Amino acid sequence: MSIADCEQEEAGWGVFEGLPGDPMMWVLVFSELVAFGLFLGAFIVAHAVKPVVFASGQASLDATLAGYNTIVLVTSGWAAARGVASARANARRHARLWLLLAMVLGGAFVTIKFFEYAQEIGSGIGLETSVFFTLYFLLTGFHLLHVCLGIIILAVVRRQADPVHVETGTIFWHMVDLVWIVMFPIVYLVH
Amino acid sequence: MRYSPDRLDLTLIALVALAAATMAFAGAGRGLLLANGAVLAIAAIKGRRILLDYLDLRSAPPLWRGLATAWLLLVAGFAWVTSAITALFS
Repeated sequence: MSIADCEQEEAGWGVFEGLPGDPMMWVLVFSELVAFGLFLGAFIVAHAVKPVVFASGQASLDATLAGYNTIVLVTSGWAAARGVASARANARRHARLWLLLAMVLGGAFVTIKFFEYAQEIGSGIGLETSVFFTLYFLLTGFHLLHVCLGIIILAVVRRQADPVHVETGTIFWHMVDLVWIVMFPIVYLVH
Repeated sequence: MRYSPDRLDLTLIALVALAAATMAFAGAGRGLLLANGAVLAIAAIKGRRILLDYLDLRSAPPLWRGLATAWLLLVAGFAWVTSAITALFS
């Protein structure tokens, strides 16, 4: 055990006491929420400044497909939460199966999103089409990278299915879910 | 053996139903402020369920539950107020 670990054990986690998983994951999650919040804020302001450009851009998007993706992601979150419950009950085999389901649904989200991008690019839309599409691709692409990272984290914590590790990994996954829940109406639906 | 849904199952059902409601509101073509307000309010409700039940903040210290909820309300509220101002002045 290192000196830092000993000091940590004596001091506890202070204000982080009572949160599930490793407190450092919460530091990351709140940092990510700040970053996504600023990014979404920039999108909202740009929408207010260029309403015609944004209305035209939104009309080119497939909101139904994004709606299906919302259902896929919240179902994946449910599977991940079930994985935590199983890991806490020491049912590691079940925990692994739930986490596998969460990962498969995460993969489905990525597939649907790529299909959506392919449709848009196929119709001549690109990063430089308008300020709407520049922000759209950056914002949704940044989120998509987090989904991919989340799937990798779930795969890593799934191996041992240790309760604290599973809690920690799924916190990141639920953050990705939470961000999409807010991003979906702002990008696709709010006029 | 009968299966009875627990809180996580009920949360999933609520989230899927709210996602369907979002799509219905978005396609209904009602007044701009009402439609925008409805989809953003639904997003805030869905986000709150994720915080409490998926992220398990229901039993966490109020500080963290409050901070996460504040983020949710701030982003959704800012989007609605900005869209309302834009609608009023355009």
